[in-house]
Amino acid sequence: MTSTGRTRHTPTGPAPSFPTGPAPSRAARRTVAAAVAAAMLAALGAACSGKANDGSGSTAGDGVKMGPGVTADKIRVGIATDLTGVYAPLGKSLTQAQRMYFEEVNAAGGVCGRRIEPVVRDHGYDVQRAMAAYSEMQSSVVGIAQFIGSPMVTALKGRITSDKMFVLPNAWATTLLGNRYIQVTGTTYDIDMVNALDFLTKEKGIGKGAKIGHVYFEGDYGESALNGSKYAARRLGLTLVEQKIKASDNDMTAQVSAFKSAGVDAILMSAGPRQSASLAGVARAKGMTVPIVASNSGFSPQLLQTPAAPALLKDFYLASAGAPIGADLAPVRRLADAYGRKYPGQPRDNAVVNGYTNALIFTSALKKACQAKDLTREGVITAHRSGGVYDDGYGTPMEFGHYDRPATRKTYILRTDAKALGGLAVQRGAEESPEAKGYRVPAGG
Amino acid sequence: MSTFVELVVNGVSMGSVYALIALGFVIIFKATEVVNFAHASLLLAGGYVTAVLHDDLGFLLALGAGIAAAAGAGALVEVLVLRRARVENHAVLAIVTIGVDIVLTTELTRRIGTEVLSLGDPWRDRIVTVAGVSVAETRIAALVTATVLITAFLLAFRHTSWGVAMRAAAEDGETAALMGVRLTRVSLGAWALAGALAAVAALFLTVFPTPGLDRGTSFAAMKAFPAAILGGSTPPPARSPAA
Repeated sequence: MTSTGRTRHTPTGPAPSFPTGPAPSRAARRTVAAAVAAAMLAALGAACSGKANDGSGSTAGDGVKMGPGVTADKIRVGIATDLTGVYAPLGKSLTQAQRMYFEEVNAAGGVCGRRIEPVVRDHGYDVQRAMAAYSEMQSSVVGIAQFIGSPMVTALKGRITSDKMFVLPNAWATTLLGNRYIQVTGTTYDIDMVNALDFLTKEKGIGKGAKIGHVYFEGDYGESALNGSKYAARRLGLTLVEQKIKASDNDMTAQVSAFKSAGVDAILMSAGPRQSASLAGVARAKGMTVPIVASNSGFSPQLLQTPAAPALLKDFYLASAGAPIGADLAPVRRLADAYGRKYPGQPRDNAVVNGYTNALIFTSALKKACQAKDLTREGVITAHRSGGVYDDGYGTPMEFGHYDRPATRKTYILRTDAKALGGLAVQRGAEESPEAKGYRVPAGG
Repeated sequence: MSTFVELVVNGVSMGSVYALIALGFVIIFKATEVVNFAHASLLLAGGYVTAVLHDDLGFLLALGAGIAAAAGAGALVEVLVLRRARVENHAVLAIVTIGVDIVLTTELTRRIGTEVLSLGDPWRDRIVTVAGVSVAETRIAALVTATVLITAFLLAFRHTSWGVAMRAAAEDGETAALMGVRLTRVSLGAWALAGALAAVAALFLTVFPTPGLDRGTSFAAMKAFPAAILGGSTPPPARSPAA
């Protein structure tokens, strides 16, 4: 098949075939009914033609094999994000950073002579909407460079595998490991907690027999983190005091009371930014001065503009695989400047680095696939999984050859700093503790 | 033991804040037989106005403005939407309030963006310690305020002509109208009052130990919904012996 034939066949999603509605004289209700029916038909049509495309890789004039989402002049890349739900601040930074990256790539000539076209869908951190968004773009994108939420990605695992969809989730639960098509970037939450306890014992004077409090969300995120803290506590001779909370719990008074009466010497925090702010605020107000280390989702720089700021600036740390946006690395500094120019007044947080570097990882797989003249989905994932250590210069070298283990076991310990860009400065550079080295990560499969 | 007392005081205090929200649901339901799904966005509106104005006006005036704004928004929904709807089935109106909620929440979250806003309350993160029991001042303030407001409401419900009109409207709207009770006024008052109570609740949902008002605050408001549904189908005070 020629490239033009291919272009005609490639579905571009339901949007173009969406009717503008029947004659205006009809009742509004009928218009709505017709539109709904048409949308369903269009979605059905897209799904059908998508299936027809999956197996049949065509070849373009330049000899590159093409699959879904790739045409002679375009590569469509999916972004399944949260722009309206609880992680909207995160989703906004990630998506803007990725758009900026793809624009830069396109300005430099694109990939394989093709422009990259991001296809952004908002799921509002809702599993059902995420599944609908996935179904809608499934047949028309080559892969997904941003997928927020481990519940969403976990729910779609089976379809991701059968569609051979290369997915970069913005979630770090261990349940996402063990799938060839899903690439968790950086560490997983458990590794971060193992390294956090190493930091506490080596640099914060926490010795054998000490008690460590751990507040964690129920579900994949918190329980992944708890696995790590349990393991490291056992290895280091520490006692863990667990406090499980729900995502809707915003007041950490009860947890702090429990930690205070247990007499903990440090606190681990695997929850959201609001919970961190509450925990730090209550703990410091009650005179607890123990160090607090949060998982990488447990902080946002906006908190430093609230009354919680003084508490968050006292002995509060973040365990993260990625370098912070204020890091003293030339590529990160360039990124921070470019982002600030493109989106003036927008918060520059670590999600900017995370989104941008994930887009870079995705694009480098596309480039490798282009060299192998195979831009089918299978070709892209094969390209991604080939090769040794990946290092883009943004502070987090990773290995993508295996998928049952995290891509790295090195964690940065960041400290809150009101003067630093993004509110965080590096306290301890990326390090892999002996405990993290020996830790067996339970992969989800 | 002190932990137990702390938890009880905190729990009762939070419960009283949710009671303020639930009371708003119930007032509207009793006066108009509409389940108000827009309550969470009224709460967010009140909180937002307080948060934006407290730097310029000071806390108390800003809170007053927030309460007035939420009451006004509630009254506006009543005047512009409910009063004009000529439907038999109140479930339709309930669904209309979902639409109002979506519009209001979308606009407010757009304005709030990614910020976490402080309401500028005077209690900050101070904690009172009595005999080993430490409780945040905000929790005590919440408990006192909610108690005062709820008591005032119950007294008004029982003893003022407004309260009598409201009870009559709740008992049997048609008969009340024949007896000279102006149902539109009762309904308008109910929406405004519910909005005002929601704005007060917004304050205590966002003060210490929570970091402040953000786009997620309205989710917390929905926690009071089951309370209103489970406990709210009958108003507790002053039911007439004949009923």
